[in-house]
Amino acid sequence: MMAKIRRYLVEYRRFVPMAATALLAIVAYSSGAVLYRGMRDPQVFLNLFITTPFLLISAVGMTFVILTGGIDLSVSGVVALTTVAAAALLREGWNAWLVVLAMLVMGTLLGAVMGGFITYLKVQPFIATLAGMWFARGLCFFISDDAIQINNRIYDLLGDTKFLIPLLADPVEQTGAYISPLAVVAMLVLVVGTYVAHRTRFGRTVYAIGGSEQSALLMGLPVNRTKVLVYALSGFCSALAGITLSIYVSSGHGSYARGFELDVIAVVVMAGTSLAGGQGYVFGALFGVLVTDVIQTLIQFHGDISSWWTRIVVGALTLIVIGIQSQLAARSGRGGDRNGAKERVQSEAARRRRRLTVAGVAGGVAVVALAAVLIASLGGNGTGDGTPTAGIPACDFESTRQDEAASLVAGGAVIAYERKGGEDCIHELYAIYPDGRMVLDDGSQQLEVHVTAGEVDQLLSTISARRWFTDEMYDTWHTPCGQCFTYYTTVVYQGQEKTVKAVDGGTDAPADYWQVVSAINGVLAAFDSGE
Amino acid sequence: MMKKPKRPFQWSKLTESRLFLPLVALALILLFDLLFVDGFFDISYSGGRLSGSLINILRNSSTVILLALGMTLVIATGGIDLSVGAIMAIAASVAAIMMNPVIIGVELPPHLMEFINDPNFTFAPLWQVIMGTLIAATICGLWNGVLVAYGNIQPMVATLILMYAGRGIAQLITNGVRIQIFYEPYAFIGGGWLILPFSLYIVAIVFVLAWLLTRKTAIGLFVESVGVNARSSFFSGIEERKIKLLAYTFCGFCAGVAGLVASSNIKTSDSNNIGLDYELDAILAVVIGGTLMTGGRFSLLASIIGGLVIQAITTSMYAIGVAANAVLAIKGVVVILVILLYSEQVRALVRRVTAPKGVSR
Repeated sequence: MMAKIRRYLVEYRRFVPMAATALLAIVAYSSGAVLYRGMRDPQVFLNLFITTPFLLISAVGMTFVILTGGIDLSVSGVVALTTVAAAALLREGWNAWLVVLAMLVMGTLLGAVMGGFITYLKVQPFIATLAGMWFARGLCFFISDDAIQINNRIYDLLGDTKFLIPLLADPVEQTGAYISPLAVVAMLVLVVGTYVAHRTRFGRTVYAIGGSEQSALLMGLPVNRTKVLVYALSGFCSALAGITLSIYVSSGHGSYARGFELDVIAVVVMAGTSLAGGQGYVFGALFGVLVTDVIQTLIQFHGDISSWWTRIVVGALTLIVIGIQSQLAARSGRGGDRNGAKERVQSEAARRRRRLTVAGVAGGVAVVALAAVLIASLGGNGTGDGTPTAGIPACDFESTRQDEAASLVAGGAVIAYERKGGEDCIHELYAIYPDGRMVLDDGSQQLEVHVTAGEVDQLLSTISARRWFTDEMYDTWHTPCGQCFTYYTTVVYQGQEKTVKAVDGGTDAPADYWQVVSAINGVLAAFDSGE
Repeated sequence: MMKKPKRPFQWSKLTESRLFLPLVALALILLFDLLFVDGFFDISYSGGRLSGSLINILRNSSTVILLALGMTLVIATGGIDLSVGAIMAIAASVAAIMMNPVIIGVELPPHLMEFINDPNFTFAPLWQVIMGTLIAATICGLWNGVLVAYGNIQPMVATLILMYAGRGIAQLITNGVRIQIFYEPYAFIGGGWLILPFSLYIVAIVFVLAWLLTRKTAIGLFVESVGVNARSSFFSGIEERKIKLLAYTFCGFCAGVAGLVASSNIKTSDSNNIGLDYELDAILAVVIGGTLMTGGRFSLLASIIGGLVIQAITTSMYAIGVAANAVLAIKGVVVILVILLYSEQVRALVRRVTAPKGVSR
């Protein structure tokens, strides 16, 4: 029996890292389902696909790049650029499908240009795509400094449609388990990517380049063309991911998806794709995404563990998968050309020692991470605000500090401005006083800066001119997206007092509302320069 | 006195110098400022400190230069360290928590509680804070080094792990709280002036340390040798693993110093934003300094000039009114231009132009 398992393991060794990740995802989800009743809801499982379609799409593109032995750091920049450019074009009144097409072409071209630099001018992939990332992200702010709301019928349709799952949903009531169009698109990308990688000439060339670029060249494979195409493909996937993100959050801003490329690379590595190139499977990306999402879901369900544990656990898992990989590479005697060469000159004893070190380090990290998670969960001392990954609504949006705001207004403030949510789950309460004093309370500390009384007066008259105190300025509320802000703004002016609340990413806010918010933010910018 | 052999002045000697291209880049940017920005070169002296745009460039580039010093050694061994920004965040968190442990619920004796907001209060003495921070950062560097040198993991992947998890760890240390730093002597590290900004003296100390380490011992030679060919270095008796370990550890140490400077400058431990994207700036500084990403010869001084070039670009863009975030796009273009400038094709062109007539190369 053991011998048989052993034989299987040896034969299908190349699947081991991917299978380990898949197994981990299943085990983690099952243990969650045992612990938390809520996780047995099929919708929670489907949400794993619904909340992060962009991660999966980008991971497919990245897998191709990494298979050739390169890397694409421009993903997050292209994603952000796509959201901003799409939002700006839609605001100009372009047709939504045309915008989608234009964005895909733009992403592909950006990728192709970077690929051209890498292939023909021999710029390191790392540097070229880094420059591409900076370029794309900087370009966002040339287009718009502020977040642009998207108010488009087709976008709304794509974002709100629910494909009900037969047997798990009630088609008449339109309730029950569902999957979103974006998740379907992501799965399609995954399937097409898998097909391209294993069943086309292009895919085989990609693997060949990753195995050894020199050999691929000598075999007469179109190395240069394929490399450019791979980066173009990654650019295409990033643009598609950007479109799904902009649909998901109904807005575009240059600071979206910061650090996203790290998430994508971590996913690809966890999927068992070797960063040396040539080894790995596109389909594994699914398991990488699932593991990340399951960890996040577990942390959300537990409630007491702080969200930064996600990063630490994912980091530890990445290390473990790499440990497994290098073990396997050592056993099969080919692990990257440089290591391979080194391998041969080492004695058997040294090799065993090295393997033990790697296993020891990986095991140690796993134990430490598990123990730490346990300690944290037993201690239950998390505060619950941290850095949720793109798109995961981890903030508690409902609870507000309106009582505090009211007391500030009672204390003489003319504007009480509460901002909650965003990428970092901030919860800030600003008070602006008529004499120019401004106080920021972000929950842990208080900051105070001063502007002139004239500035405050001008701001108040601007707000008033924006019909703040008329009936045209009304409350809007809907479930906020993961990276959006919720705003509660109380303004006191010439004996009138009015509070208006709204949610970023909403398309139904009053006409002048965002102008007022940006006017207030303009004055509050004094906090940034005052630091 | 040694008598120097007299040689005719040769353009090619100058252009082949390692400092030539970084200096040309810096000169071009300053020329741009001279033409388009009024009063860019004004330096005034008041209240015991020099101030002006040039001083600002020096002051703001100090963190990047600190990182670049460590990064130079790492890149010279053929590696890369992506985790320096995260190590800065960890360092800042450690420093803040040592000065103000109250924030994570540590009970102080009642007679100390009233000093919490006192600018001269700190829980641990300053030297302990600095030592503790640097030790924590050095351990982070050591961890990277162990993974790369003894775990045989690709440098980019090995350091990516800490880059990814590092900010989580930094938040873990402070329990997710952004700690305000009130202690004035600590604020002096990054924000103080002794005629020149104090952080420049720190940069100078670390530079001298690195220079002594690499140029007055054989270590610098070993680093270059490992970068050119790790295997043949191994065969010629260089313990390449220990050299790599040393490079990464030193890089972690430098990141710790940079974390001290950055956190004392903004007076908070902001785990999410301290050192964000700085690893990229540091790598860029090294690349502008002419050290090849594949390893080999390096020049600490050239890396410093690289760091200045980056900061000069940023400051000039601010001066002509480009928005802070949009500067990234310009930086991206500059990176590509610089890299192309260093590429073999362009270098060959420069040689052809500057070579004396009738001499074929």
